[in-house]
Amino acid sequence: MDKALYIAMTGAVQNMQAQSIRANNLANVNTTGFKADFEQARSMPVFGEFYPSRAYALTENPATNYNPGWLQETGNDFDVAIKGDGWIAVIGPDGTERYTRVGNLSIGPNGQLYTGNNLQVLGDGAPIVIPEFDKIEIGLDGTISIRPRGQGPQELAQIDRIRLVNPPLEQLEKDENGLFKLKEEGAGAVLPDANVRLVAGFLEGSNVSAVEEMIHLLSLARQYEVHVKMMSRADENAEAMARILQIG
Amino acid sequence: MHPSLWISKTGMHAQDKQLSVVANNLANVATVGFKRDRAEFEDLFYQIQRQPGAQSTQDNQIPSGLQIGTGVRVVSTQKVFSTTGFQTTEQPLDVAINGRGFFQILLPDGTIAYSRNGQFHLNSDGDVVNGNGLPLEPGITVPRDATNFTVGEDGTVTIQTPGNVQPQQLGQITLVDFVNPGGLQAVGSNLFLATGASGDPVEGTPGQDGLGFLKQYTLESSNVSVVEEMVNMITTQRAYEMNSKVIATADQMLQFVNQNV
Repeated sequence: MDKALYIAMTGAVQNMQAQSIRANNLANVNTTGFKADFEQARSMPVFGEFYPSRAYALTENPATNYNPGWLQETGNDFDVAIKGDGWIAVIGPDGTERYTRVGNLSIGPNGQLYTGNNLQVLGDGAPIVIPEFDKIEIGLDGTISIRPRGQGPQELAQIDRIRLVNPPLEQLEKDENGLFKLKEEGAGAVLPDANVRLVAGFLEGSNVSAVEEMIHLLSLARQYEVHVKMMSRADENAEAMARILQIG
Repeated sequence: MHPSLWISKTGMHAQDKQLSVVANNLANVATVGFKRDRAEFEDLFYQIQRQPGAQSTQDNQIPSGLQIGTGVRVVSTQKVFSTTGFQTTEQPLDVAINGRGFFQILLPDGTIAYSRNGQFHLNSDGDVVNGNGLPLEPGITVPRDATNFTVGEDGTVTIQTPGNVQPQQLGQITLVDFVNPGGLQAVGSNLFLATGASGDPVEGTPGQDGLGFLKQYTLESSNVSVVEEMVNMITTQRAYEMNSKVIATADQMLQFVNQNV
């Protein structure tokens, strides 16, 4: 029997996975700081005994779209967005350093600074802890200054500085939790970059382009139909073959 | 089955929740002292189908793997404690907090709840109570013959009684503050309860220790911005529609397989 059936099948299966990536992008069209994933198909020739016989399709996500999302004004002192390139360093769920652009910060019961997805924000070296305050200001370069509780405006104190980094994008990848990390494990911490700029009172939205995702989704659906058509053609061919053999 | 079905389901589910949050905010657009909620979205974990950087042969590495995200969820709702405005009234028992701080309200079970709603009333005993009849803590009882009720900026309550030239001090309204007001648990009726996330209440005199001054004849408006909520509603609806479109597409693909194979 012709193996075209199997090739068409892998095409359809890989196609479905590509569709999942696009579906995930669309599901996160409103997620703060979300970065869309790309999907691409690659041909994987299979070398048989004599010559390359079949080329299977293989879906992969070669990269993440690092374009900035739109900035949404919230007016909240604890919402920060990164203007241009750069990342906020946080402690991931597994205790290692991770990077994110989710800037809806909040304060824990003991003064720890958390991002919206409950990760501790790193300062100069250690996670940031903020003493009790009347007023807080997060500066352009991540400097946090507060007016301590019950003190006058002349008592402004600089507390810590949010660790802002800007490693080359080709060294970064998304981890299982949607946070970003260095591709090379154990490459050491990324040094803070003084050029990364924050804007307070804004949040970075998702960078998913709904129209683009919809178009990809439609084109993938049509491709899928072509694969299924191929499967049914291969089936018809096999049937015709069987008929001929019956006559014989 | 088609994974996109489930991924888009999470998308629709999250938008659904977001709409509930928006609806609740809009419903409370005129509620005194209401603080709006904000839903926070988070992408779910990623399934690694092929590990990026794994060896394809002894000498070669797979250049990029296949990680498929599994959708989105609303990870938390955050109360936004910004203040937008005050409205002046002609009721002496309307008190607003200009700054940080909460009134303390004594619940029937003896515990204390916290509120920004300063729309107080008198009950038949002359106690200062909130709209639901729950007394302010520390309690203040106004005598029947009081002619004038004054709340000072620092929370001092004084009254005037007939035949007395000197005003008489009745009591003192105190306020409490929390390290993390966003961690308070909203229980409805404009009340909040302290939680492990909010930290313990710190009591103080209005105007001191970072607590706001009190303003009599004033009410704090709801901080819901109608325009912002309407825009949120539109983006939520569109995102919902697009996720349902993905479900329809995935469904059509499965249908196509069923019909053609």
